[in-house]
Amino acid sequence: MAEICCEEAKSTPATAVAAASVSATAAAAAAVAVASSALERRRRRLEMRRFRVASDPEELVAEDVRAAKRQRLARTLSGSCPDAGSDSDRPALPRYGVTSVCGRRREMEDTVSIRPDFLPGTSKHNFFGVFDGHGCSHVATMCQDNMHEVVADEHTKAASGEETAWKGVMERSFSRLDEQAASWATSRSRDEPACRCEQQMPLRCDHVGSTAVVAVVSPSHVVVANAGDSRAVLSRGGVPVPLSVDHKPDRPDELARIEAAGGRVIYWDGARVLGVLAMSRAIGDRYLKPFVSSEPEVTVTERTDDDECLILASDGLWDVVTNEMACEVVRACFRSNGPPAPAARPNGVALPAAGAGAEDGSAVVKGVGKEDSDKACSDAAMLLAKLALARRSADNVSVVVVDLRRGI
Amino acid sequence: MPYAATRTSPQQHSRVASNGRAVAACAGHAGVPDEVARHHEHAVAAGQCCSVMVQSIAAPADAVWSLVRRFDQPQGYKRFIRSCHLVDGDGVEVGSVRELLVVSGLPAENSRERLEIRDDERRVISFRILGGDHRLANYRSVTTVHEAASEGGPLTMVVESYVVDVPPGNTVEETRIFVDTIVRCNLQSLEDTVIRQQAMAAPAAPHNDHNHS
Repeated sequence: MAEICCEEAKSTPATAVAAASVSATAAAAAAVAVASSALERRRRRLEMRRFRVASDPEELVAEDVRAAKRQRLARTLSGSCPDAGSDSDRPALPRYGVTSVCGRRREMEDTVSIRPDFLPGTSKHNFFGVFDGHGCSHVATMCQDNMHEVVADEHTKAASGEETAWKGVMERSFSRLDEQAASWATSRSRDEPACRCEQQMPLRCDHVGSTAVVAVVSPSHVVVANAGDSRAVLSRGGVPVPLSVDHKPDRPDELARIEAAGGRVIYWDGARVLGVLAMSRAIGDRYLKPFVSSEPEVTVTERTDDDECLILASDGLWDVVTNEMACEVVRACFRSNGPPAPAARPNGVALPAAGAGAEDGSAVVKGVGKEDSDKACSDAAMLLAKLALARRSADNVSVVVVDLRRGI
Repeated sequence: MPYAATRTSPQQHSRVASNGRAVAACAGHAGVPDEVARHHEHAVAAGQCCSVMVQSIAAPADAVWSLVRRFDQPQGYKRFIRSCHLVDGDGVEVGSVRELLVVSGLPAENSRERLEIRDDERRVISFRILGGDHRLANYRSVTTVHEAASEGGPLTMVVESYVVDVPPGNTVEETRIFVDTIVRCNLQSLEDTVIRQQAMAAPAAPHNDHNHS
């Protein structure tokens, strides 16, 4: 498998180099052409069979993404549908795909957290998080392990289910994770393995931090909280809608905030806080407080029937792929993956009975099964990661694609 | 913490620095003993800048020096170093050369550095940056460790000074802000590391769950 994957990775640059040589629009068209071709579709279906479909997404995704830290090859997971015979009361899993690759960086310091139905007592709220660590990986790993629980806890305390409460919930959650990062060395459980920097310098890791872009997807809204330069983008009617704005130190309002606090933004291989860190907000990085803040910017977006997908990714993707290109790749994967005719369904499972599996209280599922959607999301996530690598992204790349289409 | 009462706020330490004009030399901190003050007198050429920083540590000078002197193991207290390999010499003799890999997130990938001075008697260590993937050209650093007068327990003063080219496109002030941030972080980490080592070594120290090599 490793050899096959290596060959695939090597073959990608040729395609992408051609794509890179033309204008953005033409490049998008090229990506569409590639994604839409029957041959490519068949090849990807063969590829997908090599990846394990997680039966327990929460555990396996976390485990596998962490395991990916030592591999440079792409790993793709997708949420699976419950078996036809499973308990009908079991909540439907979200349709998503996720890929994390080490890329050209020496170590993998990205983590991804996907927690379906993570709010106790509140159904159909799914948590997605991408965390891009720097200095070491343990802050990103801590966010992966704890952020969803802290958000759920703060949401419970907020009592009010109103959407206006989300800003406070997220701000308090990020603050708690920032405190956990500061005290991580003294408070981590004995079971956790020591990370590299702790082995060298016990009990003090102020120089480690992580971005955090978090999305809570409910039937009615998408809540995004972001600190750092990872990003969340919604595709609505084919148009990218940014749900977060990167925290770069030279963003005018960030620059003003930093200087008002007595800090400086210095251009040292790009704009950096004190010339050191290339982002103005992050979890951790205590040595750069108060200039590097952990306070997230929060957006609450009402969902519409035109919504196609949500993309969360680290800057390893966004540095080399535009929002427009990313959305187009996902739409192309959606188109090329369906809807399949009933007879063509890969597993031969009959369409669900009327009412069964209905989501968001909408009409029964027609035409497209969840498995196909999951495959589409996984194809999209993997294709985006490969595109980033082919464009010589210099960083780890982590991509989560969430299918927001309704009535399917 | 047994040493909390004697800990000095880093903000109380002054920073001696040139005003940006080319100067013949940069004098070290007034408190530096005469026999090693000369090591902090850098010849500063046009287009260069220099700076001096001081860190007081409530620990014996020998404990501090045992960390500072390790040219082959700078990651023992310097946070931004991921790994260090000697590529020439044994790490003890002047002329030894090390290759450092830097942690992610910083505007640097690696650095090649030469040991210029190591005087265990006077507790002086100096290195020069020979090259690497970063923007610090002609960087030379000197660190000295001194016992300080104290009415309480042991107190040690660490003085680190450096001289470096101002990179194209940056100002003297910007260069100093960048390098001072890194050096200050390292000195703070040195204090934390030494204090913790001393606490764990003390016979009366309370039980500590963490193992320490």
